[in-house]
Amino acid sequence: MRIKRLLLSITILFFLVAGGLFFTQVLKSAYYKELSETNRIRLLPIPSPRGRILDRNGIPIVDNRLSYDVCLIDEGLKNREETLKKLAEILKRSPEELLEAATRRSSAPFMLKVICRDIGKEAVLKVEESRLHMPGIIIQTRPLRHYVYGDITSQVSGYVGEIDKLSLSRLKPYGYRIQERIGRAGLEKGYDNYLRGDWGGMQLEVDHMGRQKQVLGERLPQSGRDLKLTLDIELQKIAHEALDGRPGAVIVMDPRDGQILALAGEPAFDPNVFVVPDNTKGVREILKDKSSPLLNRAIGCAYPPGSVFKIAIALSALDSKKISAETSFECSGSYLLGGRRFHCWREGGHGAQRVVDGIKNSCNVFFYNVGKETGVDIISEYGQRFGFGKPTGVDLPDEAAGLLPSRFWKRIVKHQAWYQGETLNFAIGQGFLLVTPIQVLSMVATVANGGEVSRPFVVDRIDDITVGSPNHKRIEISKRHIDVVKEGMRQVVEGDGGTGKYARVKGLSIAGKTGTAQTHTQKTHAWFAGFSPADKPKIALVVFLEYGGKGGSHAAKTAKIIFEGAHNLGYL
Amino acid sequence: MIRLGRFDYTLVLIILAIFIIGIGALYSATYQNSTQLFDGATGRQIVWMGLGFAAFFLIANVPYHRLLSGAWLFYFICLIFLGLVLVMGHTRGGATRWIQIGSFSLQPSEFTKIGLILLLSSYLSNNRVELRRIRPIMGVFLLMLIPFALILIEPDLGTAVVLIPIAFAMLYAAGANARYLLYIFIAGVATSPIFWSLLKDYQKQRLMVFINPNIDPLGAGYTIIQSKIAIGSGGLLGKGWLSGTQNQLNFLPERHTDFIFSVIGEEWGFLGGAILLFLYLLLIWRILRIATGTQDLYGQLLCVGVATMISFQIIVNIAMTIGLMPVVGMPLPLISYGGSSLLNTMIGMGILMSVSARR
Repeated sequence: MRIKRLLLSITILFFLVAGGLFFTQVLKSAYYKELSETNRIRLLPIPSPRGRILDRNGIPIVDNRLSYDVCLIDEGLKNREETLKKLAEILKRSPEELLEAATRRSSAPFMLKVICRDIGKEAVLKVEESRLHMPGIIIQTRPLRHYVYGDITSQVSGYVGEIDKLSLSRLKPYGYRIQERIGRAGLEKGYDNYLRGDWGGMQLEVDHMGRQKQVLGERLPQSGRDLKLTLDIELQKIAHEALDGRPGAVIVMDPRDGQILALAGEPAFDPNVFVVPDNTKGVREILKDKSSPLLNRAIGCAYPPGSVFKIAIALSALDSKKISAETSFECSGSYLLGGRRFHCWREGGHGAQRVVDGIKNSCNVFFYNVGKETGVDIISEYGQRFGFGKPTGVDLPDEAAGLLPSRFWKRIVKHQAWYQGETLNFAIGQGFLLVTPIQVLSMVATVANGGEVSRPFVVDRIDDITVGSPNHKRIEISKRHIDVVKEGMRQVVEGDGGTGKYARVKGLSIAGKTGTAQTHTQKTHAWFAGFSPADKPKIALVVFLEYGGKGGSHAAKTAKIIFEGAHNLGYL
Repeated sequence: MIRLGRFDYTLVLIILAIFIIGIGALYSATYQNSTQLFDGATGRQIVWMGLGFAAFFLIANVPYHRLLSGAWLFYFICLIFLGLVLVMGHTRGGATRWIQIGSFSLQPSEFTKIGLILLLSSYLSNNRVELRRIRPIMGVFLLMLIPFALILIEPDLGTAVVLIPIAFAMLYAAGANARYLLYIFIAGVATSPIFWSLLKDYQKQRLMVFINPNIDPLGAGYTIIQSKIAIGSGGLLGKGWLSGTQNQLNFLPERHTDFIFSVIGEEWGFLGGAILLFLYLLLIWRILRIATGTQDLYGQLLCVGVATMISFQIIVNIAMTIGLMPVVGMPLPLISYGGSSLLNTMIGMGILMSVSARR
């Protein structure tokens, strides 16, 4: 009897255990299955090499090079200390530094432990020679960004850096990952989506120590797409050299379709500094540099244009029929408005000036008169037609809009009425007006092209797909008036005593306009904007020198070098 | 010799079936890692089983009444060996449980279980013992507590704990006053906090972890978490023999000994586990049928002792692999790797066969 009771209790306990098994294995099976999968499967991302950036002739400007990293396999290493000492000798590093790297916890046990990144080719040979004496040391290669021309193209190429937390949270839905390198400026930033490619990955089965057991699946990385630019690296070099380290910018463009042939800015920086591993010192130097080398002065900064803006003034007055080509004003050296005297840059005055003379001599008094006749509203209206006050839409990131003042703007922002004296300042490109070099270039190119506007661009093709097709638009200004201004601009360079005579190049017909913009300091910004040949322009350019002196001398001389260069390269 | 007709073939077949399942699981558990510990484990286990069957047939042929006279002697020999373990034992994994004899290592605590069953059967079947009174009952607990304490300080909590249900079940089957047994049980539970202080740190930690495995997921709780993942991920039909990822990728510690059921659960699923449980239950039924088939109290008590020993180990072992009980060192009978446990179980089976053949 008691034995049967014992048997019954044992049977009940067995069924309880079976119930427990049922609960674990049937009811909660899915939960535990998932846990067991995450236990054993690891995903190892394989970075894709970024796409290259090529100039218009296919010469690589930004490429990838191989970085040779010294790695450590723990299992293979017999005598770690001794090996590291030998290695330190070859690499000329301190043994402590290597030991620290070797004992650092790696992100995943199945990945090789990198103890020294990006050693030179010579060091690679030396390490390979003594590999036999250093078991467990191997060299692994990894693609690394290489900016072939360094600072020469830095304002166009931009640079890459590790993705920051904010961008990561924003870009995660697009497949960006932690520690990924992302474009931080220039084309690297603007076209990051095309350049980065698709990362590959390996699905690894690992054991309880996280050691790799087998590869379950692998997807090869898809390298990023190549960008083919409109830039000509040879002309770019010339532009860079023409700046000669002076702060400022040079942009050269084909006015017919908007292709940018060169875009240089100073101060520049070497983007390779951001690539070299563990180079925090170099990066900090660039970031803390007071001259802000990361700022692209060609598109990212707005300045007073000074006299180069007279091109727009002349056209707005002509096209709105406030003056004609024959209208003449007398310059006596100054202009009186409401008891205030506005000076021309030449003390003795220019005498009677028609619009062509006014442009050629950059006569302030002529343009004071024109400005007063035309009025702020029409000038603002035409300024808008030329694209001032808004980005040109060039395919580079971080373009500045500048500032095109108007009566309305002043009322809203300054809570003041527009004064006539401000119109006079406006008429010579001073006052509230702020423009970027590329906006000035765009204006000059439009004039050069007889009123056909094309958006400036640098990227011609992404792999084989043409993206930089010119989109022609006509500016609402009569071609007749444009021709008058063009003649004035030709006189600037080619006429006797023209303000831009220093830009003259033997054998070339060049038109242009200088500008010397006053700033809040003693120093002036120097501008030159022009094109060549004067009748059928193939090249338009802008030279801007930040606090760089007079447009007629410093900027015009710089422009001359570039016109010569373009001629030698066959563009003219 | 026993006449062939009186031989319980069913019992032998059940034992063989369970053993074969165990060999399959052991092979799988040691399949990937050919470390020294695992090298040839399956082969050694088969050799041990050969020895086990030899002992089984030998003991089955001894009339079990003869074991009566040797019961006290065997008990004392067990105590001496337990003492020897403490003095000159062989230590593995922080516990001193083994005695090295030649190339074999024996675990005396395993044989103590059989020793206690023999002694209690002998003692309780003695007509002069008055089981309606408290003193002889207390005497039985004293006989149990001496080896219990010796095993506990080895430390081997699992084996020590088995002795308790053996004593209770045998007293109950022998007709002891059930009320006294209940009082003693309550008193035992009430005084258990005293035992808490006697436990080693790692044992305390295991018991704490049982309440919440996540307090130490990479330490003491690791085994139980990984075991639950293994068994749970096995699902209804399992991942297949040699295909359990938790097992083959080494996530399961102790998977060839105490946690071998995790391997079975992962690779054969709920179905495999249920079949194994059913086979075990069949074994227990078979044993207790032998008990109800004999009029001899001594024979009956032997059956009850062995049945309790085996079923307690099965229940606790499987329950701990799915987190229903705290982790204690307790082998799964006939399946966990280990010669002493296997031999001890087979000796118990031999005694049962002897009882069965002489009804």
